[in-house]
Amino acid sequence: MRFPLAVAASAAMLAVSGRADQTPAPAAPAAPAALTNSVGMEFIRIEPGTMQVGVFHPDCANGARSGGPGSGRAAAAAPAADGRAAAGVPGAGSPAAAPAGAPPGPGRGAPRDPRMAWDEADKAACEAATQADRSDGYPVTLKKPYLIGRTEVTQAQWMAVMGTNPSLFQGDRVTNPEKHPVEGVTWQDTQAFVKALNAKEKTTTYRLPTEFEWEYACRAGGPGQQTWTDIRSQAVLGLGLAGRGGGNRGGTPPAAAPAEPVAPETPAQYTARTGMTNEVGTKAPNAWGVYDMLGNVWEWVADPYNGKIFPDPTPPKSGAVHVLKGGGFASDVKNAICATHSFGPGDSFAVGFRIVKDLP
Amino acid sequence: MFDMHVIGRPHVVAATLALMLCAGAGALRAEIPPGFTRIFDGKTTKGWHFSGTVHHGTTGLATVTKDGILQLTQRPFGQGGLFITDKIYKNFHLYLEVKLPFASNSGIFLRSTEGGSAYQVELVQGGATGALIGEGLRLSQGIPAPDLTSIWKIDEFNAIEVRMEGDAPHITIWINGVKTGEVQEPRNDQIGGVVGGHIGLQLHWLDTYEPASVSGGGMSNAMKPGHPVEFRNIAVKELP
Repeated sequence: MRFPLAVAASAAMLAVSGRADQTPAPAAPAAPAALTNSVGMEFIRIEPGTMQVGVFHPDCANGARSGGPGSGRAAAAAPAADGRAAAGVPGAGSPAAAPAGAPPGPGRGAPRDPRMAWDEADKAACEAATQADRSDGYPVTLKKPYLIGRTEVTQAQWMAVMGTNPSLFQGDRVTNPEKHPVEGVTWQDTQAFVKALNAKEKTTTYRLPTEFEWEYACRAGGPGQQTWTDIRSQAVLGLGLAGRGGGNRGGTPPAAAPAEPVAPETPAQYTARTGMTNEVGTKAPNAWGVYDMLGNVWEWVADPYNGKIFPDPTPPKSGAVHVLKGGGFASDVKNAICATHSFGPGDSFAVGFRIVKDLP
Repeated sequence: MFDMHVIGRPHVVAATLALMLCAGAGALRAEIPPGFTRIFDGKTTKGWHFSGTVHHGTTGLATVTKDGILQLTQRPFGQGGLFITDKIYKNFHLYLEVKLPFASNSGIFLRSTEGGSAYQVELVQGGATGALIGEGLRLSQGIPAPDLTSIWKIDEFNAIEVRMEGDAPHITIWINGVKTGEVQEPRNDQIGGVVGGHIGLQLHWLDTYEPASVSGGGMSNAMKPGHPVEFRNIAVKELP
């Protein structure tokens, strides 16, 4: 059993652990907001429950399979230098990349050296390492219901509370900047926002989510590792550019050609070419109706970073560096998963947050 | 000298012994070009840090041998990282030496963001070493992988130089003293119009946390277990 201590198995979770991920999950119906506050922030009510945190089950099977020429799938895939254009590897879907199964192209592809293949010793070393590192994690129970932002805090909401806008992707750089997530915020900035919002509404119930509250709402009953299909349906990735799929790559560029004079660009054209946040709520919500937990902007949570790949059952009480969750528009299907336990500062243009509200 | 995590790997111990023998023969250590400043001191990792948000991983291991070699090792196996300078560089000429085991996947990140959006000179032993690509960056114009048959030394350190100048950068790459690629980018491709960034050394990821992707996603032939990627004599000459 993959999740021996796991929570009540939801349909979504079974689909994932059964790897029945060829068909995109149907978009969840829009869940009704439990609350809309004074600045238009919508909140989804999250019910109590348990999740298994820190599950780490690396798998050597693909390494063994993809060891080199004549070794199965990888032999038929593009002979990319680094396996990146091989089937299933991020970037394979980018428009300019060679499609899986394509013959060697004149671009960056170089003939694949048979010495790249894994031998029996390599496979055994991998098995030993992954067995040693394997972890089934530990259960975390969220005992009380809470409200979490249906989307990341937008620039309009930030401005309504703070009167300023620290975001890079504002003004004439994007269309409808007010609907884009606020970014360019430090963890300390989020504390100032929460304080100001609480004062504005004469309450003390708004705060950053704990990492566990954030991850539980992100997983929506599923595991910490999402399928790439689900990630691509839910996350603004691929530099936030239309048609860029879930990979993070700039794409395999064309071979060098004589440089031609280029026309001047408007700020919007520059942004649309090089990457940006997207409006919140443009991708599919997760199973509980929460948007953009994966991709678009990284999100600050309350917890200091513990220096490890996964959170500890009890987070550090203090620390100058805080945890970032969920990935941003320049992230990848590799790390835009609910379990990713990253840390600041990150790229300020891709770092924002959402908030929770305590229930009475 | 080594973290316990590394000592446990027989390949590493063997490689280290081989290096020590080479060092004994006096053939190991090259010098940096005149006018350049070392940005890796050969003793510590001062001035460098791992990115906390790159998708390759955030818990990689950087160790320095007594011979002044920086070794980057996955930790845990399957999770790599991006080891970047604390300092930001805009126009510069970079010199470094790299030794790559077969199937390693590394790269030199140029004008990198903290999170690893960068121009990248690919470093893959057995693959497209020397190609210019974009990572988390939509590159206008790349450089195809050069034919290194008569240039690259397998199982030895190889010298790589990259000169990068201009807002729409002009990029030139030399490997072991031979110019292998040059491009004048038509535009700046950096997110948000920034010009400049960190210099980074990539240690590619291999595996997801759980085998949950569409078509595998595990151990994507990018790094054999037990073989660190090694760098030394990393130096920069900043340009106006």
